[in-house]
Amino acid sequence: MNKIADKYAADDVGSIFLYTHEAHPGEVMPELRSMEQKFEHALKLRDIYGVTRPILLDSLDGACHRRYGSMPNMTWIFNRSGTPIYKSDWSDANSVDNAIAYFLDVTKRRRNKERLAPFRVERLDYRNQDQEQFYAGLARNGPRAVTEFKDAF
Amino acid sequence: MSDQDLIEKYNYDEFVPDKFMPWMRFAESPNLGETAPDFPLWHAETQEETSLSAIWKSNLYTIVEFGSFT
Repeated sequence: MNKIADKYAADDVGSIFLYTHEAHPGEVMPELRSMEQKFEHALKLRDIYGVTRPILLDSLDGACHRRYGSMPNMTWIFNRSGTPIYKSDWSDANSVDNAIAYFLDVTKRRRNKERLAPFRVERLDYRNQDQEQFYAGLARNGPRAVTEFKDAF
Repeated sequence: MSDQDLIEKYNYDEFVPDKFMPWMRFAESPNLGETAPDFPLWHAETQEETSLSAIWKSNLYTIVEFGSFT
């Protein structure tokens, strides 16, 4: 997702990471109990996972995250008017890349005086599943996170 | 539910279905094409308060990835 942010920055596309709650808390990265702790975890995300986009924190009770559906790693795209134009229950760079390319083309067509009307579409996108990387991430949270995930599914 | 109860339930302490499944509410999320709800947000590095609307007003389009370390 960092690469997508860089790819489209010159096209006036902004990109942020919105910090929510710990989906898989463990001994190393436990559940959140204060905003101070949440700031610490967000900076660890930046430093350890190399997130180069601005990181913004939701409130401790997750007011924003909960209103938008509370999925652990979802992506939304907004236009400047505050209208959501894309939402995905999982974050996938290819899907977001595809969507942004489409919306930038819409902007170009409007500038060329095409008359366009919005409509809603549903589509099933596909993402890579890197189990090895996923479990490495869980282990980084603490051994309990690995055990609980295996027990849950 | 009190504010403290909400904070503890939202920030669940173990990944078990009874605790994480109630939060999977994507089907109830805002519709595309309608004005989005706004919320306060805080910059991770400066701890300065801003808002989701201030973020989306800054660019032609804004990508918002929700997530955490874990």
